[in-house]
Amino acid sequence: MVQRRVEKGLLEPLAQKERERSRFSRARMPPQERRVRVTQAAATLDASGRAYMAFAVDVRRGAEWHENDFVGCAYTQTGALFVKRGEEYRPAEILLGKDADVAPNVCTPSKARS
Amino acid sequence: MWNRIRRDGLRLLFLGAMTLGAAFIITSSLAYFDFQELPPFAIEKLPVRFSTLWLASLRVHVAAALVSLPLCILLMTQMVQRRRGIHRWLGRAAGVIILFVLVPSGAVLSFDAKGGAFVTAGFVLSDALVGFFMAKGIAAARRKDLVTHRRAMGHVFAQMSVAVTSRAMLVALDVGGVSPDLAYVVSLWLPVVGSAMAAELFYGVRHSVARSHVRFLGRMTHGLSKVVRSLRPRAPARSVVGAGR
Repeated sequence: MVQRRVEKGLLEPLAQKERERSRFSRARMPPQERRVRVTQAAATLDASGRAYMAFAVDVRRGAEWHENDFVGCAYTQTGALFVKRGEEYRPAEILLGKDADVAPNVCTPSKARS
Repeated sequence: MWNRIRRDGLRLLFLGAMTLGAAFIITSSLAYFDFQELPPFAIEKLPVRFSTLWLASLRVHVAAALVSLPLCILLMTQMVQRRRGIHRWLGRAAGVIILFVLVPSGAVLSFDAKGGAFVTAGFVLSDALVGFFMAKGIAAARRKDLVTHRRAMGHVFAQMSVAVTSRAMLVALDVGGVSPDLAYVVSLWLPVVGSAMAAELFYGVRHSVARSHVRFLGRMTHGLSKVVRSLRPRAPARSVVGAGR
């Protein structure tokens, strides 16, 4: 379910956006393919008590797959997607070009439970 | 016309490729001026130190490049070089934009270049070459030393052309399956060093040949003037003065 949500909500629009943009740029070339791996067997609760599951996106360049091109988390109830940039998480829309601020305390297990 | 194309074939081919490349860059850079969206290059750079300054510098740098690259291409054409007034004014515009906008914003961006210190060094070198040779070229033009001006501007144009050659290499290396990180380093350093060498080879050699021609002409004129003086009939007073010593 999380895998489907990430594919529909992030990877497909991202691929569509990359098809539209010019390749004559210093920006990284889009990969041939992307795949989602859900890296948790069960959901984790964050500090606000909301359940999320972590995922990783791998990319294929040529014949080789490169793991963890980016990682993030999906909230199971709301379907909200976040991606990790540096040490912080931001809404996944940032990868689609939407300016999105850092989302504090998301995708981080509550301290009491960790 | 055909003879001219044959004579200037390489030069025209290069200018044509640069024009095409500049057109591609302009098209792909329009995304930088959509203030509702982050451009892909900026997204992959996140998080970046002083992000507001960095993004502003990026937009200023892109805007300056979009104006100065076509200006440089125009300035290198014989059509504009033959029209001194136009060449001078376009050159002034290009000089101001490059020295006061493109080079400083490029320096700010280079310190956060993706790929680390080695890539930063490549951008700093290219930026420094543009700044140094632009200042040198302007000074040479002001004292009407056109040989030095031509050589300096050859170097400026060569480094400006890196914007096109580097992107073309990125596309080619991606098609060849080279990893993006390695491709980014190779497609920066190879064009920067290659362009500097090509400019020196093309304009430096011509520069020294032109200089030696000037020296040769100087010696010829000096020798001829000696011959002319020796052929002049001596005034009688001169020998009297000589005898009096």
